[in-house]
Amino acid sequence: MFIDEMVNQGATPVIEQTLKFTSARQRLLEEDVANISTPGYVQKDLSVSKFQSVLRQRVAAADEGPRGQDLGDLGVDVENPRSGIMFHDGNNRSIEELMSAGMKNALTHNLMIELLKKQFATMELALQQK
Amino acid sequence: MFDSLDISASALVAQRTRMDTIAGNVANMNTTHNEKNEPVPYRRRFVLFAAGRAGEDGGTAAGVHVEKVESDPSPFRIVHDPGNADADKDGNVSYPNVDLAIEQVNMMEASRAYDANVTMMDTTKAMIASALRLLA
Repeated sequence: MFIDEMVNQGATPVIEQTLKFTSARQRLLEEDVANISTPGYVQKDLSVSKFQSVLRQRVAAADEGPRGQDLGDLGVDVENPRSGIMFHDGNNRSIEELMSAGMKNALTHNLMIELLKKQFATMELALQQK
Repeated sequence: MFDSLDISASALVAQRTRMDTIAGNVANMNTTHNEKNEPVPYRRRFVLFAAGRAGEDGGTAAGVHVEKVESDPSPFRIVHDPGNADADKDGNVSYPNVDLAIEQVNMMEASRAYDANVTMMDTTKAMIASALRLLA
């Protein structure tokens, strides 16, 4: 389809996947911060490096395949980070790490939105034949 | 993404309940009578948090809630004051088992946790706002 090919060209599918990832991760980070005082709560997170490596593979595969394909579901699973836990109940109450992860995640999200806006603006320009 | 704001909101409610409990403890730190005017000192209370939002999806929705408010079983503070009307036969008066230092530390923790959740909400709100700007 023409529209699919137009929307899925260039960096747009990558931006779309990153936005999906940052939204899902923000939800988990919020849950972790909300449960900072809950005994026995085990933190949840999505691995940025795993997401990036799966994305890299998909982008490489998409470059080989037909044009205008979206990248599909990346399937990055929720993890329970266990490093540096100092509490016996397994709840890692590291508020600094959580807040900085939240901030980085939000910045990535906003950057991706700006890039997507630029992509759409370019597309609009092309459609208007200017 | 809108519902992720509910996660932080549930934490704000839980931390406020915790703060209310602490305020009750500090207010009653010298109360030697119960509500029926019997000479039973006030017993310190504390909240127990549990993961999941109460009442939504059978408590499985992401978030946190106050599962119960417990009474601290630790012994009362005994003060020798024979002139007091509540003194026992040895002249001792039982005061509530509230330690101001512990309450202060708990209050700071609750307040910081509240702040952290407000910041998290702010960040998520900024993310939603920037996504909505795509439409304009």
